[in-house]
Parts: sequence; structure tokens; C-alpha cells
Amino acid sequence: MRLIRQFFALLIMSLAGIPQRLGSVLTIIIGVACAVGVLVSMLSMGAGARQQEQANVRADGVVLTSVGARVFQSSVAREEAAVIREMPGIRRGTDGEPIVTFESYFPMEGRRRVTGKRVFMPLVGISESVLQYRPQMHFTSGRMFQRGLRELIVSNACARQFTGFEIGDRRSLPGGDWTVVGHFDQGVGQPCSVYADVDILMSTFARNSYSTVSVVLRSASDYDAFRKAVQTNPTLHLEARHEREVVEDSFKQLNALFDFVSYFVGTIMAIGATLGAVNSLYSIVDARRRELATLRAIGFGSGAITASILCESALLALPGALLGAGLACALFNGLSVSPFGYSFQLEVTRSLALTGVVWALAMGLFGGLLPALRAARVPVTTALRAT
Amino acid sequence: MRFLPLIWSGIWRKPGRTILMFLQISVAFALFGVLQGLKTGVEHLVAAARADLLIVHTRANLFSPLPLGLLERIKSVPGVKMVVPVELSGATYQKPDQQLGIVAVSTEGDWLSAFTFTVTPEHAAALRNTRTGALILEATAKKYGWKIGDHIPLMTRTVLLGASAAWEFEVAGTFSDSDIGGGGDKILINFSYYNEARQAGKNTVNHFNVAVTDPKLAVSVADEIDRRFANSSNETKSESLRELAQLELQSIGDLNFLIRAIVGAVLVALLFATSTMMMQSIRERTAELAVLKTLGFTDRAVFLLILAEAVVVCVVAAACGLALALFAFPFAARFISGLSMPLVVVEIGLASALLVALVSAGVPAILAARLRITEALASR
Repeated sequence: MRLIRQFFALLIMSLAGIPQRLGSVLTIIIGVACAVGVLVSMLSMGAGARQQEQANVRADGVVLTSVGARVFQSSVAREEAAVIREMPGIRRGTDGEPIVTFESYFPMEGRRRVTGKRVFMPLVGISESVLQYRPQMHFTSGRMFQRGLRELIVSNACARQFTGFEIGDRRSLPGGDWTVVGHFDQGVGQPCSVYADVDILMSTFARNSYSTVSVVLRSASDYDAFRKAVQTNPTLHLEARHEREVVEDSFKQLNALFDFVSYFVGTIMAIGATLGAVNSLYSIVDARRRELATLRAIGFGSGAITASILCESALLALPGALLGAGLACALFNGLSVSPFGYSFQLEVTRSLALTGVVWALAMGLFGGLLPALRAARVPVTTALRAT
Repeated sequence: MRFLPLIWSGIWRKPGRTILMFLQISVAFALFGVLQGLKTGVEHLVAAARADLLIVHTRANLFSPLPLGLLERIKSVPGVKMVVPVELSGATYQKPDQQLGIVAVSTEGDWLSAFTFTVTPEHAAALRNTRTGALILEATAKKYGWKIGDHIPLMTRTVLLGASAAWEFEVAGTFSDSDIGGGGDKILINFSYYNEARQAGKNTVNHFNVAVTDPKLAVSVADEIDRRFANSSNETKSESLRELAQLELQSIGDLNFLIRAIVGAVLVALLFATSTMMMQSIRERTAELAVLKTLGFTDRAVFLLILAEAVVVCVVAAACGLALALFAFPFAARFISGLSMPLVVVEIGLASALLVALVSAGVPAILAARLRITEALASR
């Protein structure tokens, strides 16, 4: 009880002294703010990317790829495609046909609206059944491409970011001009997608195998049976996986990059900020040597002193964390970036901000540890004698 | 020079504080080095890409076929030294995730002048004389342990005349590639052999590699080639490797903004920390500085003394941090092939450290210089 009373008395005293030590205090706050701001904004990039990737994944969706291959490396022969359509366990759509979509990826160039610079982007050949595979996909203007015609449909995210995707625009691609006929929205995620009829695209590009096949199962619990059926079918050299897994797999490298950058940069900045905090707290403790010795002499315990310095340091880190998270939010939230050809929005979520605050508290506590111990061990007699 | 011991003792007046300061600056500049290294490294890669090598492809995009017949018409453009047809395709070796790029080139004449490849004359001759021969990128040959004379079976996506999808090549030698995209596994084969073996798309190519007689002419040659094919059924677009490198690295461009923001944050935080520390240090040393002045040190000497202390600590710590960055860089740069840390980053880093030292020690040094002996000593 006495310890707690002493602790609060000391804490109030420390906090009341802040204006006199503005320089050191600001060093801690700004150091922590910079570290947390950078960490949160970097993490928000990874979070935005992940959110985008997984937003439209369906739980009963299964993607078939070549065994052990990523999406862009996979190839599914036409004969295999025919076998898959006849497999049991696949849900039938409104037209009575099994919901099976074939995808094939081709490179194309886009031109940024803002910078006018060219970037590579995937042109995805896809079956019409994609509308049943992704029921949240709906046209905001125009219509679906017609089978057998050289027509493109693009997501609104793409039409906003790149030029030449207005309805009626003609894109010069192999086999002549391809006309943009529709703009669509995709529900939660807003990825940039350009779709065309897979069969006409493959014949134009003289390709004879699809990249991947996506199917919808009758129920998510049929997964194991379906996977086994694919595995044991001698005519299929394919592997069936949850759509979520396949998406995760294809973005593994990108996510690893984001994670590496976030935590590498975040850790280094945190170390720097912690060192800064240690230094500032040392000088604060040094400046208060006589004060602390006096307190010890009149009966304040060293435990209470240690705890109060630790708590002060954590409390100083807190406004830094809020400032940093706030800056990250103000500067980067909703910012649209497209590194490595994927476009997504940065998203500063509450949980990321919380991560930042936790890091800040850790920096404060670590930074305060040694100075707090020193404060508690101030030798009373020498400190009082010293001028 | 004779002030060195004085500077030295000033630095070590509070060893704990100096060491913490030193570590903080080192850490900050290690981060600075890695990030700035990535940014500048990419810019250097683009600048190093050859501007005198043109790629002639269809106007539509980089990946559609062009008829082989355009070869002679491109050759007739003045300023063109060498034209080589290039066909690109892909294959896998043993496992679907072991991908290889197949580059089919015509190996006639001085074809190597139109590429960024380095091949010894013996290996080039071996490829020319072996119809089914292949030159393997050195890293690839090492990865799979392929030796000259080995037969390597590849699974290809190209539809071949024979029924089998497996295609066998004989290793004729190795090559290295100095281009930006030189990272991936790839092999070079004879275009004539490829063209005979494939079922569809005969006598078409992905693009032509064009070497120009004079690098200064590259732009006008590119324009002239495109002009000749304008309004034909095979409109072309000619671009130098440098332009293509810019395009390829454009995708990383967005990260530049973030890198700049981080480096800015690091330097601001650092500036703040160092200036507070310097201020604190000067405040504590008021009496000592007054004694120095009593001994006859001029205001200017005291001013320079304080600045020198900050500069020594900052620059040495930054040098340590940048050395650390140099060491850590390959780890961070593994995401972009062929990237190395340009030394100019070290120079920028040291200059920034100097700047941080001067800015942060400026005000404390002025205060120290203006110190009045009587007041400073009286306050004791």
C-alpha cells in the first residue's frame, strides 16, 4: 500500500517536471513517433495487399493447378479440362452446368493515368461462368464480354488507374483491336483485373493449355473427397487446393517482401528510438540525482522509484505512438500503390495502430529499464554532497 | 591537430551517453544505407542498361509474334549493324517449378554484338555447329550440375512436331548475361532448329535484337524502323534496353516514395536526438568551457571545438552504420536480381552525417561561443 502511494506521488512529481526537461522528453516522443509511424505505415502496406488478395476468396472454391506449380507456371491441357467438367462433387449453376471456370494469363501493358508511365499487367482469359463463380461481381456499366468476340471487361479499379479502359476504347492486342465493353465491381476487394473470353484469347495467342481451373464444390466439406478424386485420376496431372491456399501461395513472395521490409525497417527504427530513449532518460535521471537522493533519504523505497521511472518512460512513449500512428493514418491511409504490378490500397487498421502502440510501450519499458535501476541505486550520501 | 586530445576528452566526458549516441547514429545510418542503396542501386541498374541495343517488337505489346521476313527490311535501315531474330519460350526441367527460359537466336555472323551475353568464341562456335546444342547460363549450369556434352530433357509448352512434349538439348557451353533480367535460369538455342521443330507459328519471332553502328544514332534508328513499318500489318515499336529496364523497374517506383518517407523520418528523429544531447552536454559543461576561455581559448576556438566533437561522433558512427549496411545489403537486395550497393550511397550517407552533426551542434556551439566567463563561473 505504501509502495503504491509512493509510486503515484513520484509519478506525479516526474510528470510535473516535464516542462523543465522538454528537450529530452521531446526526443523520446519524436523518436518513438517516427519508429511507430514507419512501422505502422509499412505494415499497412502488407495488410492492404493481404486484404485485397483474400477479399473475394470463397470457402467452397477449389483451384486446380499443375502439381507443385504456382498459378503463373501452371498448365492444364484441354483434355484434362474436359475430364474436370465431368467430375462429381461440383456444384451446378443456374443453367444446370457445373460451375467450372478456366483461366489463362497473358501479359499486357497498361499506362498509368497519373504518371503516364507504362507498366506490365496481366490480361486474364476467363470463362463466362466467372459470373457464377464470383456472384459479387456486377457490372456498373456496359455488359459482359460475348463468347467468341474480341472484347474486354475491366474492373473499375483498373479503369480508374489506367488510361484506355473506357467503354468503347479499342486496345491494340494480337489479332487486331479488342473493344472494352464493360466495367465491373468485385465487392470487398478492389483489385485491378482485365478479363476476356479465355478461348478466343488462347486461339489468338496460339496457346493450347489453360493456366488454372477453378470450381465450386457442392459444399465446402466435399473438399477432401474432391482432392482425392483429382489425385487418384490417372488422366489428371493436377493438384486441387482451396482457393485461399492457392492465392496465398501465389502471393507468398510479395507478402514475404512486405513482411521483411516492415519488420526489418520497423525493428531497426525501434532499436534507434529505444537507444534515444535510454539516453534521454539517463540524462533525466542524472539531472534529478539530488532530488532522487533526497527522496530516498526521507524514506521513499527504491522499488517505488524504479517503478515510477519505468512508468514515466512508458507514458512518454505513448503520445509518441499515437502521434506516429496518427501520422501514418493521415499520410498513407487509402493511398493507392502498385508495386510489382499489383495495385492495392494501404490500410491503416485499428489492430495495426494497436501493434504500433504495443511496440511503443515495449520501447518505453526497455528504454527505461537501465535508467530506472540507476535512479534506484543513487547513493544517497554522495548524491547529496555533490553540487 | 593539437586540439585532438581535447576533442577526444570532450567526446568521452560521459562515456555511457557517447556510446548510446554512437549506437543510435550507427543504427540510423545502417537503415539509411540499405534503403538508399536499394533506391540508388535500381537507378544505377537502369543507367547501366545499354541504350544502343534495340528491341524491335510489335506495336501492340512485347509478346506478340512478328514475321521473320521483316529481317531484311530492318537490316536495310541506315545505322543498323546487326539484326538477330529472337524467339522466347519457356520450359521446365524435371519439376514444374524448375522453370527455364528458352531463348532461340540465329547464330549467324556477329550475332553476339546484338546481345548483352558474354560467350567465349569456342562455345559460340560449338553452338553454331551443334544443331541441337544449347548454351546454358552459368548460374543455371551450376544449379543443375550440367556439363558440356550432357543431354538435358526439357518439358516445353511449345507444341512440337514430334508427339512428345519432352525436348532434348546437348550442352554446348555456357554464357553470362549482364542485363538486368539476367537473373532467371535460361538457355540459348539455335533459332533454325527451334523453327523447324515447332508445329505452329513457323517463321515468326518475338522480337528482333538490333545493334546500331553508333550509340548516338540509337533513337533515330529506332524511329526510322518504326516509320518503315507504320500503317503495315506489322507495325513495330523499337525500344532500347534502357527504356525497357525503366519500364521493368517502374513497378518498384512506387516504393521510392515510401523509402524517401522512411529515410526522412529516420533523419528527423536522429537530428532531434543529437541536438538534445548536444544541448544537454553544453549545459553541463558551462563551467569547463568558461575555464577554457579563461585559459585564452577564443570564442571561435570553442565554437569549432564543440562542432568538431559532434562531427567526429556523427561521421565515425555513420561510417560504422554504413559498413553494417554494406554487409546487410545482399540480404535485403535478394528480391531484385543483379542489384549491388553503389558506393555513392556511402558518400551521400557521410555527407548527411556531417550535415546532421553541423545542424544539431550549431546552436549549442554558438551558445558555447557566446558564453561569458564571469556569468558561467558565477553560476556555479
